[in-house]
Amino acid sequence: MITSFRRISASLVLTYAALTLGAIAVVYPFFFMVNNSFKTGREILHSPTALPSTITLIGYTGVFEELDVLLLFKNSLILAVSITLLNTLLSALAGYAFAKIPFPGRGRIFGFMLITMMIPGVLFLIPSYVFIYNLGWVGHYHALIIPSAVSVFNIFLVRQFMLGIPDEIVEAARIDGAGDPTIFMRVILPLARPALATVAILTFMGSWNDFFGPLLYLNQPEHWTLQLGLLQFRGTVPGENAEQIWALTTLITLPIVVVYFFIQEQFVKAFANVSLSK
Amino acid sequence: MVSSRALDAPERAGAAPSSLFLRIKRSRWGYIFVSPWVVLYLFFGLYPLVLSFYLTFFDYSFVTPENRTFVGLGNWIDGVTDSLFWKSLYNIVLNQTTFIVLKNGLGLITAALLVRITWGARLFRTIYFLPVITSTVVLMTIGDNLASPGGPVQKVLIDAGLIAGPVFWKSDDTLPMIIIALINTWKWFGISTIILLAGMYGIDPRLYEAAVVDGAKGWQLFRYITLPMLRPQLFFLLVVDIINGLQMFTEVFSIGFNVYGGINHQALTPVLYLYAQAFDRSNVGYASTLGLLLAFLIALLTALQFRFVRAEAE
Repeated sequence: MITSFRRISASLVLTYAALTLGAIAVVYPFFFMVNNSFKTGREILHSPTALPSTITLIGYTGVFEELDVLLLFKNSLILAVSITLLNTLLSALAGYAFAKIPFPGRGRIFGFMLITMMIPGVLFLIPSYVFIYNLGWVGHYHALIIPSAVSVFNIFLVRQFMLGIPDEIVEAARIDGAGDPTIFMRVILPLARPALATVAILTFMGSWNDFFGPLLYLNQPEHWTLQLGLLQFRGTVPGENAEQIWALTTLITLPIVVVYFFIQEQFVKAFANVSLSK
Repeated sequence: MVSSRALDAPERAGAAPSSLFLRIKRSRWGYIFVSPWVVLYLFFGLYPLVLSFYLTFFDYSFVTPENRTFVGLGNWIDGVTDSLFWKSLYNIVLNQTTFIVLKNGLGLITAALLVRITWGARLFRTIYFLPVITSTVVLMTIGDNLASPGGPVQKVLIDAGLIAGPVFWKSDDTLPMIIIALINTWKWFGISTIILLAGMYGIDPRLYEAAVVDGAKGWQLFRYITLPMLRPQLFFLLVVDIINGLQMFTEVFSIGFNVYGGINHQALTPVLYLYAQAFDRSNVGYASTLGLLLAFLIALLTALQFRFVRAEAE
Protein backbone atom coordinates (compact mmCIF):
# COMPACT_ATOMS: atom_id res chain seq x y z
CA MET A 1 0.00 0.00 0.00
CA ILE A 2 2.77 2.42 0.98
CA THR A 3 4.93 1.60 -2.05
CA SER A 4 2.03 2.11 -4.45
CA PHE A 5 1.26 5.47 -2.81
CA ARG A 6 4.90 6.44 -3.19
CA ARG A 7 4.91 5.40 -6.83
CA ILE A 8 1.81 7.45 -7.54
CA SER A 9 3.18 10.55 -5.88
CA ALA A 10 6.53 10.17 -7.65
CA SER A 11 4.83 9.97 -11.04
CA LEU A 12 2.65 12.93 -10.08
CA VAL A 13 5.75 14.98 -9.27
CA LEU A 14 7.22 14.02 -12.66
CA THR A 15 3.96 15.02 -14.35
CA TYR A 16 4.01 18.45 -12.74
CA ALA A 17 7.72 18.84 -13.52
CA ALA A 18 7.14 18.06 -17.22
CA LEU A 19 4.12 20.37 -17.42
CA THR A 20 6.04 23.21 -15.73
CA LEU A 21 8.97 22.75 -18.09
CA GLY A 22 6.56 22.93 -21.01
CA ALA A 23 4.93 26.07 -19.60
CA ILE A 24 8.32 27.78 -19.26
CA ALA A 25 9.23 26.87 -22.84
CA VAL A 26 5.92 28.30 -24.08
CA VAL A 27 6.13 31.52 -22.08
CA TYR A 28 9.85 32.25 -22.54
CA PRO A 29 9.57 33.72 -26.07
CA PHE A 30 6.92 36.15 -24.79
CA PHE A 31 9.20 37.08 -21.91
CA PHE A 32 12.04 37.57 -24.42
CA MET A 33 9.85 40.00 -26.39
CA VAL A 34 8.64 42.07 -23.42
CA ASN A 35 12.07 42.07 -21.79
CA ASN A 36 13.77 43.41 -24.92
CA SER A 37 11.12 46.07 -25.40
CA PHE A 38 12.55 47.84 -22.30
CA LYS A 39 16.16 47.85 -23.55
CA THR A 40 18.21 50.01 -25.90
CA GLY A 41 19.01 48.70 -29.38
CA ARG A 42 22.69 48.27 -28.50
CA GLU A 43 21.86 46.20 -25.43
CA ILE A 44 19.45 43.98 -27.43
CA LEU A 45 22.20 43.30 -29.96
CA HIS A 46 24.92 42.46 -27.42
CA SER A 47 22.98 40.67 -24.69
CA PRO A 48 19.56 39.67 -26.03
CA THR A 49 18.70 37.38 -23.11
CA ALA A 50 19.88 39.53 -20.20
CA LEU A 51 17.53 41.63 -18.10
CA PRO A 52 17.67 45.35 -18.95
CA SER A 53 20.53 47.12 -17.12
CA THR A 54 18.27 50.15 -16.84
CA ILE A 55 14.64 50.07 -17.90
CA THR A 56 14.15 52.41 -20.84
CA LEU A 57 11.02 53.33 -22.78
CA ILE A 58 13.05 54.46 -25.80
CA GLY A 59 11.53 51.68 -27.93
CA TYR A 60 7.98 52.75 -27.12
CA THR A 61 8.59 56.47 -27.66
CA GLY A 62 10.44 55.64 -30.88
CA VAL A 63 7.55 53.60 -32.26
CA PHE A 64 5.06 56.39 -31.58
CA GLU A 65 7.38 58.92 -33.27
CA GLU A 66 7.93 56.88 -36.42
CA LEU A 67 4.54 55.24 -36.81
CA ASP A 68 1.01 56.44 -36.22
CA VAL A 69 0.35 53.56 -33.84
CA LEU A 70 -3.04 54.87 -32.77
CA LEU A 71 -4.16 54.99 -36.39
CA LEU A 72 -3.02 51.39 -36.90
CA PHE A 73 -4.95 50.41 -33.76
CA LYS A 74 -8.01 52.22 -35.02
CA ASN A 75 -7.81 50.55 -38.45
CA SER A 76 -7.38 47.08 -36.92
CA LEU A 77 -10.35 47.75 -34.64
CA ILE A 78 -12.61 49.05 -37.43
CA LEU A 79 -12.00 45.88 -39.43
CA ALA A 80 -12.18 43.40 -36.55
CA VAL A 81 -15.28 44.93 -34.93
CA SER A 82 -17.32 45.28 -38.12
CA ILE A 83 -16.45 41.80 -39.38
CA THR A 84 -17.25 40.32 -35.95
CA LEU A 85 -20.60 42.11 -35.57
CA LEU A 86 -21.72 41.18 -39.09
CA ASN A 87 -20.69 37.56 -38.68
CA THR A 88 -22.38 37.17 -35.32
CA LEU A 89 -25.67 38.68 -36.52
CA LEU A 90 -25.82 37.05 -39.96
CA SER A 91 -24.78 33.59 -38.79
CA ALA A 92 -27.34 33.79 -35.96
CA LEU A 93 -30.10 34.63 -38.46
CA ALA A 94 -29.13 31.93 -40.95
CA GLY A 95 -28.43 29.40 -38.18
CA TYR A 96 -31.93 29.98 -36.78
CA ALA A 97 -33.53 29.58 -40.21
CA PHE A 98 -31.64 26.34 -40.90
CA ALA A 99 -32.38 24.90 -37.46
CA LYS A 100 -35.92 26.04 -36.69
CA ILE A 101 -37.84 27.32 -39.74
CA PRO A 102 -38.85 24.40 -42.01
CA PHE A 103 -38.97 26.42 -45.25
CA PRO A 104 -39.31 24.46 -48.52
CA GLY A 105 -35.86 23.90 -50.08
CA ARG A 106 -34.07 24.18 -46.75
CA GLY A 107 -32.41 20.78 -47.04
CA ARG A 108 -31.07 21.53 -50.50
CA ILE A 109 -29.67 24.94 -49.58
CA PHE A 110 -28.05 23.51 -46.47
CA GLY A 111 -26.57 20.59 -48.43
CA PHE A 112 -25.13 23.02 -50.95
CA MET A 113 -23.67 25.04 -48.10
CA LEU A 114 -21.92 21.99 -46.69
CA ILE A 115 -20.36 21.29 -50.09
CA THR A 116 -19.01 24.85 -50.32
CA MET A 117 -17.29 24.27 -46.97
CA MET A 118 -15.13 21.61 -48.60
CA ILE A 119 -13.63 23.95 -51.21
CA PRO A 120 -10.13 25.11 -50.18
CA GLY A 121 -9.89 28.90 -49.78
CA VAL A 122 -6.83 29.19 -52.01
CA LEU A 123 -9.06 28.61 -55.01
CA PHE A 124 -10.82 31.93 -54.42
CA LEU A 125 -7.68 33.95 -53.86
CA ILE A 126 -6.95 35.16 -57.38
CA PRO A 127 -10.49 35.30 -58.88
CA SER A 128 -11.83 37.14 -55.81
CA TYR A 129 -9.04 39.66 -56.15
CA VAL A 130 -9.79 40.12 -59.86
CA PHE A 131 -13.49 40.63 -59.06
CA ILE A 132 -12.92 43.06 -56.18
CA TYR A 133 -10.26 44.89 -58.21
CA ASN A 134 -12.73 45.30 -61.08
CA LEU A 135 -15.37 46.57 -58.66
CA GLY A 136 -12.87 49.28 -57.69
CA TRP A 137 -12.91 48.24 -54.03
CA VAL A 138 -9.16 47.69 -53.57
CA GLY A 139 -7.88 50.20 -51.04
CA HIS A 140 -11.18 50.38 -49.15
CA TYR A 141 -12.20 48.66 -45.93
CA HIS A 142 -15.30 47.16 -47.51
CA ALA A 143 -13.06 45.08 -49.82
CA LEU A 144 -12.26 43.09 -46.67
CA ILE A 145 -15.47 43.53 -44.69
CA ILE A 146 -18.21 42.63 -47.18
CA PRO A 147 -16.81 39.34 -48.56
CA SER A 148 -16.17 38.12 -45.00
CA ALA A 149 -19.45 39.42 -43.52
CA VAL A 150 -20.69 35.86 -43.02
CA SER A 151 -18.91 32.54 -43.18
CA VAL A 152 -20.41 29.14 -43.90
CA PHE A 153 -18.41 27.74 -41.06
CA ASN A 154 -19.98 30.12 -38.52
CA ILE A 155 -23.50 29.40 -39.80
CA PHE A 156 -22.85 25.70 -39.43
CA LEU A 157 -21.56 26.18 -35.89
CA VAL A 158 -24.62 28.21 -34.81
CA ARG A 159 -27.05 25.87 -36.55
CA GLN A 160 -25.60 22.82 -34.79
CA PHE A 161 -26.04 24.58 -31.45
CA MET A 162 -29.59 25.73 -32.21
CA LEU A 163 -30.65 22.18 -33.12
CA GLY A 164 -30.19 21.50 -29.41
CA ILE A 165 -32.78 24.12 -28.44
CA PRO A 166 -36.12 22.25 -27.97
CA ASP A 167 -38.68 22.86 -30.74
CA GLU A 168 -41.39 23.19 -28.05
CA ILE A 169 -39.96 26.54 -26.94
CA VAL A 170 -40.24 27.93 -30.48
CA GLU A 171 -43.69 26.34 -30.97
CA ALA A 172 -44.96 27.80 -27.70
CA ALA A 173 -43.90 31.30 -28.78
CA ARG A 174 -45.58 30.79 -32.17
CA ILE A 175 -48.84 29.77 -30.51
CA ASP A 176 -48.65 32.93 -28.43
CA GLY A 177 -48.74 34.77 -31.75
CA ALA A 178 -45.06 35.66 -32.07
CA GLY A 179 -43.60 35.91 -35.60
CA ASP A 180 -40.13 34.69 -36.52
CA PRO A 181 -38.39 38.07 -35.97
CA THR A 182 -39.84 38.28 -32.45
CA ILE A 183 -38.97 34.67 -31.66
CA PHE A 184 -35.45 35.28 -32.94
CA MET A 185 -34.94 38.41 -30.82
CA ARG A 186 -36.70 37.35 -27.61
CA VAL A 187 -36.26 33.57 -27.47
CA ILE A 188 -33.42 32.39 -29.69
CA LEU A 189 -30.77 35.09 -29.21
CA PRO A 190 -30.61 34.75 -25.40
CA LEU A 191 -30.49 30.94 -25.61
CA ALA A 192 -27.84 30.87 -28.32
CA ARG A 193 -25.38 33.09 -26.47
CA PRO A 194 -22.68 30.41 -25.98
CA ALA A 195 -22.59 29.64 -29.71
CA LEU A 196 -22.58 33.32 -30.62
CA ALA A 197 -19.73 33.94 -28.17
CA THR A 198 -17.76 31.23 -29.95
CA VAL A 199 -18.41 32.85 -33.33
CA ALA A 200 -17.53 36.30 -32.02
CA ILE A 201 -14.27 35.20 -30.37
CA LEU A 202 -13.01 33.18 -33.32
CA THR A 203 -13.95 35.87 -35.84
CA PHE A 204 -12.45 38.73 -33.86
CA MET A 205 -9.22 36.85 -33.29
CA GLY A 206 -8.94 35.81 -36.92
CA SER A 207 -9.55 39.32 -38.15
CA TRP A 208 -7.29 41.05 -35.60
CA ASN A 209 -4.42 38.70 -36.45
CA ASP A 210 -5.09 38.59 -40.20
CA PHE A 211 -2.15 39.60 -42.32
CA PHE A 212 -2.83 38.29 -45.82
CA GLY A 213 -6.18 40.04 -46.35
CA PRO A 214 -4.95 43.54 -45.46
CA LEU A 215 -1.76 42.90 -47.46
CA LEU A 216 -3.83 42.15 -50.56
CA TYR A 217 -6.52 44.78 -50.28
CA LEU A 218 -5.22 47.74 -48.26
CA ASN A 219 -2.44 49.38 -50.22
CA GLN A 220 -2.66 52.87 -48.69
CA PRO A 221 -0.56 53.48 -45.54
CA GLU A 222 -3.48 55.34 -43.93
CA HIS A 223 -5.48 52.09 -44.03
CA TRP A 224 -2.77 49.81 -42.67
CA THR A 225 -3.51 47.55 -39.73
CA LEU A 226 -1.13 46.77 -36.84
CA GLN A 227 0.06 43.55 -38.49
CA LEU A 228 0.91 45.36 -41.73
CA GLY A 229 2.50 48.24 -39.83
CA LEU A 230 4.85 45.87 -38.02
CA LEU A 231 6.08 44.36 -41.25
CA GLN A 232 6.54 47.63 -43.13
CA PHE A 233 8.33 49.02 -40.15
CA ARG A 234 10.69 46.07 -40.00
CA GLY A 235 11.49 46.41 -43.66
CA THR A 236 12.50 50.06 -43.77
CA VAL A 237 15.62 50.14 -41.56
CA PRO A 238 16.87 46.57 -41.05
CA GLY A 239 18.62 45.89 -37.75
CA GLU A 240 18.54 49.54 -36.74
CA ASN A 241 15.30 49.68 -34.78
CA ALA A 242 15.32 46.48 -32.73
CA GLU A 243 13.98 48.18 -29.59
CA GLN A 244 11.08 49.63 -31.54
CA ILE A 245 10.19 46.28 -33.09
CA TRP A 246 9.95 44.68 -29.63
CA ALA A 247 7.91 47.61 -28.33
CA LEU A 248 5.48 47.30 -31.24
CA THR A 249 5.13 43.51 -31.04
CA THR A 250 4.42 43.92 -27.31
CA LEU A 251 1.81 46.59 -28.06
CA ILE A 252 0.11 44.41 -30.69
CA THR A 253 0.00 41.37 -28.44
CA LEU A 254 -1.09 43.08 -25.22
CA PRO A 255 -4.79 43.81 -26.02
CA ILE A 256 -5.61 40.27 -27.16
CA VAL A 257 -3.75 38.70 -24.23
CA VAL A 258 -5.60 40.93 -21.75
CA VAL A 259 -8.95 39.97 -23.30
CA TYR A 260 -7.83 36.34 -23.30
CA PHE A 261 -7.04 36.27 -19.59
CA PHE A 262 -10.42 37.75 -18.74
CA ILE A 263 -12.45 35.29 -20.81
CA GLN A 264 -9.97 32.44 -21.28
CA GLU A 265 -12.59 29.82 -20.46
CA GLN A 266 -14.70 31.03 -23.42
CA PHE A 267 -11.64 31.10 -25.69
CA VAL A 268 -10.76 27.50 -24.95
CA LYS A 269 -14.41 26.45 -25.22
CA ALA A 270 -14.66 28.22 -28.57
CA PHE A 271 -11.96 25.99 -30.01
CA ALA A 272 -13.34 22.87 -28.35
CA ASN A 273 -16.83 23.66 -29.75
CA VAL A 274 -15.41 23.78 -33.25
CA SER A 275 -14.09 20.24 -33.03
CA LEU A 276 -17.21 18.86 -31.34
CA SER A 277 -19.63 20.26 -33.92
CA LYS A 278 -17.96 18.28 -36.69
CA MET B 1 -51.06 20.93 -28.81
CA VAL B 2 -54.75 21.16 -29.63
CA SER B 3 -54.53 24.78 -30.78
CA SER B 4 -51.49 24.04 -32.93
CA ARG B 5 -53.41 21.30 -34.71
CA ALA B 6 -56.28 23.68 -35.28
CA LEU B 7 -53.91 26.17 -36.90
CA ASP B 8 -52.55 23.53 -39.27
CA ALA B 9 -55.95 22.29 -40.35
CA PRO B 10 -56.87 24.81 -43.10
CA GLU B 11 -53.52 24.33 -44.80
CA ARG B 12 -53.96 20.56 -45.02
CA ALA B 13 -57.40 20.96 -46.48
CA GLY B 14 -56.12 23.14 -49.35
CA ALA B 15 -55.07 21.89 -52.81
CA ALA B 16 -51.42 20.89 -53.33
CA PRO B 17 -50.08 23.93 -55.28
CA SER B 18 -51.59 26.49 -52.96
CA SER B 19 -50.38 24.46 -49.99
CA LEU B 20 -46.78 24.80 -51.18
CA PHE B 21 -47.40 28.50 -51.75
CA LEU B 22 -48.84 28.74 -48.24
CA ARG B 23 -45.87 26.93 -46.75
CA ILE B 24 -43.47 29.28 -48.54
CA LYS B 25 -45.47 32.27 -47.42
CA ARG B 26 -45.67 31.05 -43.86
CA SER B 27 -41.95 30.40 -43.65
CA ARG B 28 -40.91 33.50 -45.61
CA TRP B 29 -38.65 34.60 -42.77
CA GLY B 30 -36.55 31.49 -43.38
CA TYR B 31 -35.68 32.80 -46.85
CA ILE B 32 -35.11 36.31 -45.57
CA PHE B 33 -32.77 35.14 -42.80
CA VAL B 34 -30.73 32.96 -45.14
CA SER B 35 -30.61 35.52 -47.96
CA PRO B 36 -27.56 37.55 -46.76
CA TRP B 37 -25.40 34.46 -47.01
CA VAL B 38 -26.93 33.39 -50.34
CA VAL B 39 -26.37 36.81 -51.93
CA LEU B 40 -22.83 37.14 -50.58
CA TYR B 41 -21.96 33.63 -51.70
CA LEU B 42 -23.27 34.23 -55.21
CA PHE B 43 -21.00 37.26 -55.59
CA PHE B 44 -17.92 36.32 -53.58
CA GLY B 45 -18.03 32.52 -53.81
CA LEU B 46 -19.79 31.19 -56.86
CA TYR B 47 -18.81 33.96 -59.26
CA PRO B 48 -15.07 33.81 -58.38
CA LEU B 49 -15.29 30.02 -58.69
CA VAL B 50 -16.53 30.31 -62.27
CA LEU B 51 -14.12 33.15 -62.96
CA SER B 52 -11.20 31.05 -61.75
CA PHE B 53 -11.90 28.36 -64.37
CA TYR B 54 -12.39 31.04 -67.02
CA LEU B 55 -9.12 32.80 -66.16
CA THR B 56 -7.07 29.62 -66.52
CA PHE B 57 -7.58 29.74 -70.28
CA PHE B 58 -6.16 33.23 -70.68
CA ASP B 59 -3.05 35.31 -70.44
CA TYR B 60 -4.45 38.05 -68.24
CA SER B 61 -2.96 41.00 -66.37
CA PHE B 62 -4.49 43.48 -63.92
CA VAL B 63 -2.79 46.37 -65.68
CA THR B 64 -4.09 45.65 -69.18
CA PRO B 65 -7.14 43.38 -68.82
CA GLU B 66 -8.32 44.30 -72.33
CA ASN B 67 -5.23 42.63 -73.86
CA ARG B 68 -6.10 39.15 -72.60
CA THR B 69 -5.27 36.37 -75.04
CA PHE B 70 -6.72 32.89 -75.19
CA VAL B 71 -4.06 30.27 -74.49
CA GLY B 72 -6.20 27.13 -74.21
CA LEU B 73 -4.65 24.59 -71.89
CA GLY B 74 -1.29 26.38 -72.00
CA ASN B 75 -1.46 27.48 -68.35
CA TRP B 76 -2.27 23.94 -67.21
CA ILE B 77 0.64 22.46 -69.14
CA ASP B 78 2.97 25.17 -67.80
CA GLY B 79 1.68 24.50 -64.28
CA VAL B 80 2.29 20.75 -64.13
CA THR B 81 5.72 21.16 -65.76
CA ASP B 82 6.81 24.19 -63.71
CA SER B 83 9.82 23.11 -61.63
CA LEU B 84 9.30 26.02 -59.21
CA PHE B 85 5.74 24.88 -58.51
CA TRP B 86 7.05 21.37 -57.76
CA LYS B 87 9.78 22.86 -55.59
CA SER B 88 7.13 24.75 -53.64
CA LEU B 89 5.10 21.55 -53.22
CA TYR B 90 8.19 19.71 -51.99
CA ASN B 91 8.87 22.50 -49.49
CA ILE B 92 5.35 22.56 -48.11
CA VAL B 93 5.20 18.77 -47.78
CA LEU B 94 8.52 18.80 -45.88
CA ASN B 95 7.21 21.62 -43.69
CA GLN B 96 3.82 20.09 -43.00
CA THR B 97 5.06 16.57 -42.32
CA THR B 98 7.41 17.95 -39.68
CA PHE B 99 4.77 20.28 -38.31
CA ILE B 100 1.87 17.80 -38.15
CA VAL B 101 3.95 15.10 -36.44
CA LEU B 102 5.48 17.46 -33.88
CA LYS B 103 2.37 19.51 -33.16
CA ASN B 104 0.01 16.59 -32.66
CA GLY B 105 2.66 14.51 -30.88
CA LEU B 106 3.33 17.32 -28.43
CA GLY B 107 -0.41 17.91 -28.05
CA LEU B 108 -0.92 14.23 -27.28
CA ILE B 109 1.84 14.23 -24.66
CA THR B 110 0.61 17.38 -22.91
CA ALA B 111 -3.00 16.14 -22.98
CA ALA B 112 -1.91 12.77 -21.51
CA LEU B 113 -0.12 14.67 -18.73
CA LEU B 114 -2.95 17.15 -18.11
CA VAL B 115 -5.59 14.42 -17.86
CA ARG B 116 -3.76 13.02 -14.79
CA ILE B 117 -3.97 16.18 -12.70
CA THR B 118 -6.79 18.38 -11.43
CA TRP B 119 -5.00 21.02 -9.37
CA GLY B 120 -3.48 23.64 -11.71
CA ALA B 121 -4.74 21.97 -14.90
CA ARG B 122 -6.58 25.11 -15.94
CA LEU B 123 -3.51 27.30 -15.47
CA PHE B 124 -1.34 25.02 -17.63
CA ARG B 125 -4.02 24.89 -20.31
CA THR B 126 -4.28 28.69 -20.30
CA ILE B 127 -0.53 29.02 -20.74
CA TYR B 128 -0.25 26.41 -23.50
CA PHE B 129 -3.00 28.19 -25.37
CA LEU B 130 -1.31 31.60 -25.28
CA PRO B 131 0.55 31.28 -28.64
CA VAL B 132 -2.67 30.16 -30.36
CA ILE B 133 -4.28 33.57 -29.82
CA THR B 134 -1.17 35.58 -30.73
CA SER B 135 -0.68 36.84 -34.27
CA THR B 136 1.48 34.90 -36.71
CA VAL B 137 3.49 37.99 -37.66
CA VAL B 138 4.45 38.61 -34.02
CA LEU B 139 5.32 34.97 -33.34
CA MET B 140 7.42 34.71 -36.49
CA THR B 141 9.28 37.89 -35.50
CA ILE B 142 10.06 36.39 -32.10
CA GLY B 143 10.96 32.97 -33.56
CA ASP B 144 13.21 34.59 -36.16
CA ASN B 145 15.17 36.41 -33.46
CA LEU B 146 15.38 33.45 -31.10
CA ALA B 147 16.72 31.19 -33.88
CA SER B 148 19.02 33.74 -35.56
CA PRO B 149 22.80 33.22 -35.70
CA GLY B 150 23.94 34.83 -32.45
CA GLY B 151 20.45 34.43 -30.97
CA PRO B 152 19.82 32.61 -27.69
CA VAL B 153 18.84 29.22 -29.12
CA GLN B 154 21.98 28.87 -31.22
CA LYS B 155 24.06 30.11 -28.29
CA VAL B 156 22.72 27.29 -26.11
CA LEU B 157 23.32 24.74 -28.89
CA ILE B 158 26.92 25.95 -29.38
CA ASP B 159 27.60 25.87 -25.63
CA ALA B 160 26.23 22.33 -25.50
CA GLY B 161 28.50 21.35 -28.38
CA LEU B 162 25.58 20.33 -30.60
CA ILE B 163 26.55 22.72 -33.41
CA ALA B 164 30.08 23.88 -34.25
CA GLY B 165 29.33 27.53 -35.01
CA PRO B 166 26.54 29.90 -35.94
CA VAL B 167 24.19 28.43 -38.55
CA PHE B 168 22.88 30.78 -41.23
CA TRP B 169 19.78 28.67 -41.69
CA LYS B 170 17.84 31.09 -43.87
CA SER B 171 20.12 30.41 -46.84
CA ASP B 172 20.17 26.65 -46.22
CA ASP B 173 18.19 24.40 -48.54
CA THR B 174 15.98 22.55 -46.03
CA LEU B 175 16.40 24.33 -42.68
CA PRO B 176 13.97 27.24 -43.32
CA MET B 177 11.01 24.89 -43.74
CA ILE B 178 12.02 22.85 -40.67
CA ILE B 179 12.52 25.90 -38.45
CA ILE B 180 9.22 27.47 -39.56
CA ALA B 181 7.59 24.13 -38.69
CA LEU B 182 9.16 24.30 -35.22
CA ILE B 183 7.88 27.84 -34.62
CA ASN B 184 4.45 26.81 -35.88
CA THR B 185 4.49 23.81 -33.54
CA TRP B 186 4.98 26.23 -30.64
CA LYS B 187 2.08 28.31 -31.95
CA TRP B 188 -0.49 25.59 -32.57
CA PHE B 189 0.13 22.57 -30.29
CA GLY B 190 -2.23 24.08 -27.68
CA ILE B 191 -5.19 23.39 -29.98
CA SER B 192 -4.26 19.72 -30.25
CA THR B 193 -3.89 19.65 -26.47
CA ILE B 194 -7.39 20.91 -25.69
CA ILE B 195 -9.10 18.87 -28.41
CA LEU B 196 -7.35 15.64 -27.38
CA LEU B 197 -7.88 16.44 -23.70
CA ALA B 198 -11.62 16.83 -24.29
CA GLY B 199 -11.50 13.46 -26.08
CA MET B 200 -9.69 11.83 -23.15
CA TYR B 201 -12.25 13.16 -20.65
CA GLY B 202 -14.93 11.53 -22.80
CA ILE B 203 -13.48 8.02 -22.58
CA ASP B 204 -15.53 5.71 -20.34
CA PRO B 205 -13.41 5.02 -17.20
CA ARG B 206 -14.88 1.50 -17.04
CA LEU B 207 -12.76 0.62 -20.09
CA TYR B 208 -9.60 1.31 -18.10
CA GLU B 209 -10.93 -0.49 -15.03
CA ALA B 210 -11.70 -3.60 -17.08
CA ALA B 211 -8.24 -3.50 -18.69
CA VAL B 212 -6.51 -3.09 -15.33
CA VAL B 213 -8.40 -6.15 -14.04
CA ASP B 214 -7.02 -8.01 -17.07
CA GLY B 215 -3.51 -6.96 -16.04
CA ALA B 216 -2.83 -4.06 -18.43
CA LYS B 217 -0.29 -1.43 -17.33
CA GLY B 218 0.37 2.30 -18.03
CA TRP B 219 1.73 2.24 -21.56
CA GLN B 220 -0.57 -0.59 -22.66
CA LEU B 221 -3.59 1.37 -21.42
CA PHE B 222 -2.49 4.34 -23.48
CA ARG B 223 -1.67 2.32 -26.57
CA TYR B 224 -4.73 0.04 -26.63
CA ILE B 225 -7.44 2.22 -25.09
CA THR B 226 -6.59 5.93 -25.17
CA LEU B 227 -5.15 6.10 -28.70
CA PRO B 228 -7.89 4.09 -30.46
CA MET B 229 -10.61 6.01 -28.60
CA LEU B 230 -9.06 9.31 -29.74
CA ARG B 231 -9.35 8.38 -33.41
CA PRO B 232 -12.13 10.90 -34.22
CA GLN B 233 -10.20 13.77 -32.64
CA LEU B 234 -6.93 12.82 -34.33
CA PHE B 235 -8.71 12.51 -37.65
CA PHE B 236 -10.31 15.94 -37.25
CA LEU B 237 -6.92 17.50 -36.43
CA LEU B 238 -5.24 15.83 -39.40
CA VAL B 239 -7.89 16.95 -41.90
CA VAL B 240 -7.85 20.56 -40.67
CA ASP B 241 -4.02 20.63 -40.53
CA ILE B 242 -3.63 19.45 -44.10
CA ILE B 243 -6.25 21.84 -45.49
CA ASN B 244 -4.77 24.84 -43.67
CA GLY B 245 -1.12 23.88 -43.88
CA LEU B 246 -0.87 23.52 -47.64
CA GLN B 247 -2.10 27.11 -47.95
CA MET B 248 0.71 28.65 -45.88
CA PHE B 249 1.79 32.16 -46.78
CA THR B 250 2.05 34.60 -43.86
CA GLU B 251 4.62 32.57 -41.92
CA VAL B 252 7.22 32.57 -44.69
CA PHE B 253 6.58 36.14 -45.78
CA SER B 254 6.67 37.62 -42.29
CA ILE B 255 9.85 35.79 -41.25
CA GLY B 256 11.58 37.78 -43.96
CA PHE B 257 11.60 35.80 -47.21
CA ASN B 258 10.56 37.50 -50.45
CA VAL B 259 7.66 36.18 -52.53
CA TYR B 260 10.05 33.81 -54.33
CA GLY B 261 11.05 32.17 -51.04
CA GLY B 262 14.67 33.37 -51.09
CA ILE B 263 17.50 33.16 -53.62
CA ASN B 264 17.34 29.38 -54.04
CA HIS B 265 13.56 29.27 -53.43
CA GLN B 266 14.39 27.38 -50.24
CA ALA B 267 11.24 28.73 -48.53
CA LEU B 268 8.92 28.93 -51.53
CA THR B 269 5.39 27.67 -50.75
CA PRO B 270 2.64 27.15 -53.36
CA VAL B 271 0.62 30.17 -52.20
CA LEU B 272 3.75 32.33 -52.10
CA TYR B 273 4.48 31.32 -55.68
CA LEU B 274 0.90 31.97 -56.71
CA TYR B 275 1.15 35.43 -55.13
CA ALA B 276 4.43 36.11 -56.95
CA GLN B 277 2.93 35.09 -60.28
CA ALA B 278 -0.19 37.22 -59.82
CA PHE B 279 1.17 40.35 -58.17
CA ASP B 280 4.84 40.46 -59.14
CA ARG B 281 4.70 39.13 -62.69
CA SER B 282 1.03 39.94 -63.37
CA ASN B 283 0.39 36.44 -64.76
CA VAL B 284 -3.14 36.32 -63.37
CA GLY B 285 -4.36 33.47 -65.56
CA TYR B 286 -1.38 31.34 -64.62
CA ALA B 287 -1.75 32.14 -60.91
CA SER B 288 -5.40 31.14 -61.10
CA THR B 289 -4.38 27.81 -62.65
CA LEU B 290 -1.88 27.18 -59.85
CA GLY B 291 -4.67 27.90 -57.35
CA LEU B 292 -6.89 25.31 -59.02
CA LEU B 293 -4.08 22.73 -59.12
CA LEU B 294 -3.42 23.24 -55.42
CA ALA B 295 -7.14 23.06 -54.59
CA PHE B 296 -7.45 19.76 -56.50
CA LEU B 297 -4.48 18.41 -54.61
CA ILE B 298 -5.98 19.38 -51.25
CA ALA B 299 -9.35 17.89 -52.22
CA LEU B 300 -7.61 14.68 -53.29
CA LEU B 301 -5.69 14.40 -50.02
CA THR B 302 -8.84 15.08 -47.97
CA ALA B 303 -10.80 12.47 -49.95
CA LEU B 304 -7.99 9.94 -49.42
CA GLN B 305 -8.09 10.60 -45.67
CA PHE B 306 -11.85 10.05 -45.54
CA ARG B 307 -11.52 6.83 -47.52
CA PHE B 308 -8.72 5.63 -45.27
CA VAL B 309 -10.80 6.29 -42.17
CA ARG B 310 -13.83 4.53 -43.64
CA ALA B 311 -11.69 1.49 -44.50
CA GLU B 312 -10.31 1.51 -40.95
CA ALA B 313 -13.80 1.59 -39.48
CA GLU B 314 -15.00 -1.42 -41.48
